Amino acid sequence: MVGPAQIVAFGGGGFSMEAGNPLLDDYVLSLTHAERPKVCFLPTASGDADHYIVRFYRAFSPARCEPSHVSLFRRDKGAGLGRAVDEHLLDQDVIYVGGGSVLSLLGVWRAHGLDEVLAECWRRGVVLCGLSAGSLCWFQDAVSAFHGEPTSVRGLGLLPLSNCVHYDREPARREAYRAAVGSGEVRAGYAADDGVALHFIGTDLARVVASRRDRAAYRVESVEGEAMEVAIEPDWLGAGSPLTVA
Amino acid sequence: MGGGGFTMEPVGGALDELVLGLARTPVPKICFLPTASGDPGEQIARFYAAFGDRPCDAVHLSLFRLGVNPVDLRSHLLAQDIVYVGGGSMRNMLAIWRAHELDVILRECWEQGTVLAGLSAGAMCWFEGGITKSSGRPAPVEGLGLLEGSLSVHLDGEPERRPAYLDAVASGALPDGWAADDGVALLFEDRKLVRVVGSKRGLHCVRVERDGDRARVTEVPVEALPGHPQAIRSIDADVRELRSLRYRASAGGR
Repeated sequence: MVGPAQIVAFGGGGFSMEAGNPLLDDYVLSLTHAERPKVCFLPTASGDADHYIVRFYRAFSPARCEPSHVSLFRRDKGAGLGRAVDEHLLDQDVIYVGGGSVLSLLGVWRAHGLDEVLAECWRRGVVLCGLSAGSLCWFQDAVSAFHGEPTSVRGLGLLPLSNCVHYDREPARREAYRAAVGSGEVRAGYAADDGVALHFIGTDLARVVASRRDRAAYRVESVEGEAMEVAIEPDWLGAGSPLTVA
Repeated sequence: MGGGGFTMEPVGGALDELVLGLARTPVPKICFLPTASGDPGEQIARFYAAFGDRPCDAVHLSLFRLGVNPVDLRSHLLAQDIVYVGGGSMRNMLAIWRAHELDVILRECWEQGTVLAGLSAGAMCWFEGGITKSSGRPAPVEGLGLLEGSLSVHLDGEPERRPAYLDAVASGALPDGWAADDGVALLFEDRKLVRVVGSKRGLHCVRVERDGDRARVTEVPVEALPGHPQAIRSIDADVRELRSLRYRASAGGR
C-alpha cells in the first residue's frame, strides 16, 4: 500500500483492554481505506502469549479484515506464514503491536532485525499501531514502569518525541515522566490516558481520538526545569459519526 | 542439560533432584526463568508442580508480565541459591536478558556461587556459543561465555543440530565443546567439567574438537543416575500448604 507514514499510539485500550468497545481498533482500520485490510498482530511484548493471540483473532474477524500474526518465539513464526517475516510485514495495511514489556519487546525485535523492517513499513505507509508497550516503542524516549521504578527507555525513534501511557491510571509512571521531561532527561512529548489514541501523520500529531468519555491526552514539555502539561481534548469516537467533533 | 528436567521429563526426575542437591543449603531458594519461551503459563505451572512440594523455596521471574509487586531484578536473583532456566529461543532469551541487564546480574550470581541450571537454550546460554533454531534452521549463536567452549543440545531428539554443530566447530565459528542427548547433564564447578550424568541408561554425550578443517568427535562416558521417587525428602504438611497458598496468590495476581 502507498500512503503517508502513520502511527496510532494508544495510551491503553483496543481489544486487549476494552472488551466490547471496538472504537479505537475500528478507527485504525478506517485509516487504511481498504475493504478488507491486512492486519498483522505482533504479540512480542507479551512473550507471544497464546490467549492474547486468540483474542486478537476474535476481535479482528476475517469478515472485516485479513488477520495474521507473527510469533518470534515459536518456530513456525505464525499462522499460515508461508514466507519470510519481513516480506509479510511489508505487505500489511496495519501492524498492531500488543502490550507487555517494552524492554523485552525492543530486545527481541532488534535481535531479529525487526526494528529496521518496521521502520521501512512505516515509510511505505503501513499503519503502525498498538497500546502500552505497543505505543511506547515507536517513540524516541519512553517511560517504562516494568519491574520496579519507572525508567526511561530508548524506543525505535520513528517519532522524535517522548511518550507515556496509562497516564490516568498509574500515578508513579506519570510522576516519573513529568520529572524526566522536566529535567530534560527525555525530550518533550505526549502522554495518553487509557482509551485515548494519538494519531500521527509523519511525525506530526494529526488527531487525538478516544473510545471513552472524560479522558485526555497531554502535551508535556519542559519549561524552566519544570514539566508543563497541556491537556488535549480528544474526539470521542462513539455515538454515530466518528467524525463529529464535540 | 541437553534436554530433560521437569519441562521434558516426568516430574520428580533425577536431573532436577541433582540440581536441588547442588545448593549449599537444605531448603534452597530456586528461581525459574522461563524467558526463552516467552514466560508461558503452562511452563510456570509445571515448574511449581515439579518443585512446589520439594524441600525448596520455589519462585519464578517473568520478564514479560508486570507483577503486582514488581521486584528489583538484581537483589531478587542474587538472593537465590539456584537459578533454573527453561528452553525455547536462545536468541530471544539473550536479547531480553541483555535488555534487562540480566547478563550482568547472572554473571554476578555465578561468581557468588549460585547454582545456574537449565536445559536447551537454558543450557547453551552459559557457554561461549551454541546452536539455535530461533530462526528456523540450526545456526551458531553467541552465549554469555561464563563457561569456555560451546554446547549443542538435543543430540538425539533433534538430529539436524548435529551437522550444523560439527560444521560450526570445524570452521571455527564455534569453539570446541560438547553435544548432549536429552536427559544428559554436564556439571561444571567453576569452569571445570566434573561430571556427566544421565537421567537413564544408554544416553550419549560427545566432545567435539576442531582438527584442521574437520571436527573430531569423541564419546564422553555418561554416568546413569539412579531413579528418584518424587519428594524424596519429607516435607511438613503446613509448609506445603503455605507454599500452595503463596503460589495461588501469586498466580492470581498475574
